[in-house]
Amino acid sequence: MNEATIAKIKERLASLRKLPGIGEKSVAQVLEEHGFTRRDFLKWSAAMAVMLGLPTKFSPLIAEAAEVSDRLPVVWLHLAECTGCSESLIRNDSPTIDNIIFNFINLQYHDTIMAAAGWQAEENYEEALEKFAGRFVLCVEGGVPTKDGGEFLTIGPNAETGLEKLKRTAAKAAAVISVGTCSSFGGIQAAAPNPTGVKGVYQVINKPVINVPGCPPSAKNIVGTILYVILFGALPAVDNFNRPKFAYGLRIHDLCERRGHFDAGEFVEQFGDNGAENGFCLYKVGCKGPYTFNNCSRERFNQHTSWPVQAGHGCIGCSEPDFWDSMAPYEEPLANHKFASASVDATADKVGATILTVAGVAIVAHAALSAIKNPKE
Amino acid sequence: MKITKKIVNKIEGEASLKIYGDKKVDFVEIEFWQYRGIENYLINRPIMDALVINPRICGICGHSHLFATVKAIENAVNAKISKKAKILRDITVGLEIVENHIKWFYITLFPTQIKDKKYIFKANKFATLISKAIALIAGQYPHNSYMIPGGVTCDPTNLEIIKLKDLLQKIYEKYQEEIIDLNMNSNDLRVFFENLPRDIGKSVNRFLVLGNNLFFKKNGDVSLVKEEKNTSLSKNVLYNNLFVEVGPLARNIENQNIKKIYDKYKDSIYTRIIARIYEGLLILKYLIKKVKEIDICEPSYIKPEIYDGTGISAIEAPRGSLVHEIKIKNEKIANYNIIVPTQFNLSSSQDKNNLSAAQTAMIGEKKEYLDTIFKCFDICAVCVSH
Ligand code: SF4
Ligand code: SF4
Repeated sequence: MNEATIAKIKERLASLRKLPGIGEKSVAQVLEEHGFTRRDFLKWSAAMAVMLGLPTKFSPLIAEAAEVSDRLPVVWLHLAECTGCSESLIRNDSPTIDNIIFNFINLQYHDTIMAAAGWQAEENYEEALEKFAGRFVLCVEGGVPTKDGGEFLTIGPNAETGLEKLKRTAAKAAAVISVGTCSSFGGIQAAAPNPTGVKGVYQVINKPVINVPGCPPSAKNIVGTILYVILFGALPAVDNFNRPKFAYGLRIHDLCERRGHFDAGEFVEQFGDNGAENGFCLYKVGCKGPYTFNNCSRERFNQHTSWPVQAGHGCIGCSEPDFWDSMAPYEEPLANHKFASASVDATADKVGATILTVAGVAIVAHAALSAIKNPKE
Repeated sequence: MKITKKIVNKIEGEASLKIYGDKKVDFVEIEFWQYRGIENYLINRPIMDALVINPRICGICGHSHLFATVKAIENAVNAKISKKAKILRDITVGLEIVENHIKWFYITLFPTQIKDKKYIFKANKFATLISKAIALIAGQYPHNSYMIPGGVTCDPTNLEIIKLKDLLQKIYEKYQEEIIDLNMNSNDLRVFFENLPRDIGKSVNRFLVLGNNLFFKKNGDVSLVKEEKNTSLSKNVLYNNLFVEVGPLARNIENQNIKKIYDKYKDSIYTRIIARIYEGLLILKYLIKKVKEIDICEPSYIKPEIYDGTGISAIEAPRGSLVHEIKIKNEKIANYNIIVPTQFNLSSSQDKNNLSAAQTAMIGEKKEYLDTIFKCFDICAVCVSH
């Protein structure tokens, strides 16, 4: 990014600053109340810049943008889902700066964590759509049932279908973020035989959508993406499944703590064996890390405490489209079932083929995701 | 007669109530308008896939669904597990219950009386700590599949167990300081009931406990449970042809402290609410005792032999008894059925002589209390719409 970009961002931030905030206090005051110094805050912006894959010279801009993050309204819509994404989100470190910032953004509507309920909540929703038309960021959690006109999910007093509500909300939104695999690609509801005809958000609206898949996605990826959009008024660079590259640029396998064992050909052959006790690679008991683009092995979950592979269960591939069908069975290696030919490539943009060398035998993991179409095609 | 329709949200999804009556509720129907169809796509998959799919029935109590799944399979094939695996499972499921209770109290119930964001933050603070403790064993919270038929996939080290002990102790102390203590003193509960009568919301006075995990004792037999269609997209659940109440009040009614309150207020909202938040403390106390019994040298997993059969499991989940039933044929799932606690409590019956726990609690009460009474059952619309 060059000087012109920086100038543009500065201009945008200056215009945001002129808008009214939501509370009486500024972000800086709130942070101070929670015992964070200016220095902590700058350290946080630098770390955020790294997480978002931006050059460090952006960190002052991030700090500045965080300070005006209460100016941009966010609307959060729940469709067919399990609420796991919200659950993941509210488990941000507390109180950390991410958490405070998230609580500080102008969240106009979120079914679970807002204070209003019932009719009042419905009113707030409609009001937000009018008042902030063309300006708010829409976050969608959950897939969109489309069969029989979408009647498997109706919301609110007029029994509006989720499909309708999404369409009319998205039409007014400045940006749309699909939070979780369900809203990104349909998720579990869309697994075969997909009885309610669930689709991903991008398949039913005519707007660019940024996908933050994962089942659930880590709080870091959710907050990072929302912040990015709020901060820069633009979508971050994405791969061909519209996932932000800063989070989905590498495979789970690339940074896995068990990777050394994979390369050495040391595998857990079955749960509970010696290999399991010694933390060997989980590929043979079904790990889908080599086919999955996400940053769990680097960022982990629940305040960096752990992640599934650390607890001895393979990655299930939850941030890939259609993984409920294409990655199953989850406890068996994929290569046993699907892969036949060899080809080599492994960049996020060409989610295609990968060669895995296992103890001298080539497990050819061709086109783990070849069944999945590029959303842009 | 006046009929109004009320949409209830902030219950992890949404329900609608069709209310008959003017100032008081004469009759009420409870409707859920979502359907996801999880039972359908389990069919014909390898049985182990259920371990990954079922936690996604609900992101709020995914561990309970995982636990019920694992136990259903284990019951079908007669699997054995080590004591260590059993304790580890109890810890994560127990912590999930504690965490659910806190979030229900402060995020769902509180705003029906008191609008103050500070309680939402308070709940999130506890949720964060608790999920960290769960993640130490399970790898991640919500959603993971660390329990497998025959045990668990993790092999916690001594260091991790020490960390866990510390965390449990910390959560236990904070719980007593900030939520409720062992003598049932709770400032927040007092605040909540400042302008609310304690004796409203009396219900069917029939309690059912089907699971026997943690320290709960079952008092019923799962073969007497019956499901039937109602007018919305959910199903009614009866026990021995009658509607019953499941959940914390049902499973702690023998506890001395709860019993005292029950004797005074019967199964009113006050008893129901205090039973739920007090249970959180009791669970933490139990887990602190259990964690000391872990022997890390025991195996985490004992490989079971998988064969065809039918397995049914009932466990106690945050909101009450949860039932899973699996039919295995050629190592594949031939059939799967799930009955969730919210269905027991929130059935919608047309038979005025046999109404569900939530219907009974609402009928005859002033409409202004409806929101609180309805939510005191800790409703999960996500679960119902499985
Ligand atoms: S992506 Fe996962 S956590 Fe998110 S709504 Fe879907 S099933 Fe739940
Ligand atoms: S296969 Fe899975 S467990 Fe093994 S190194 Fe790769 S990501 Fe890690």
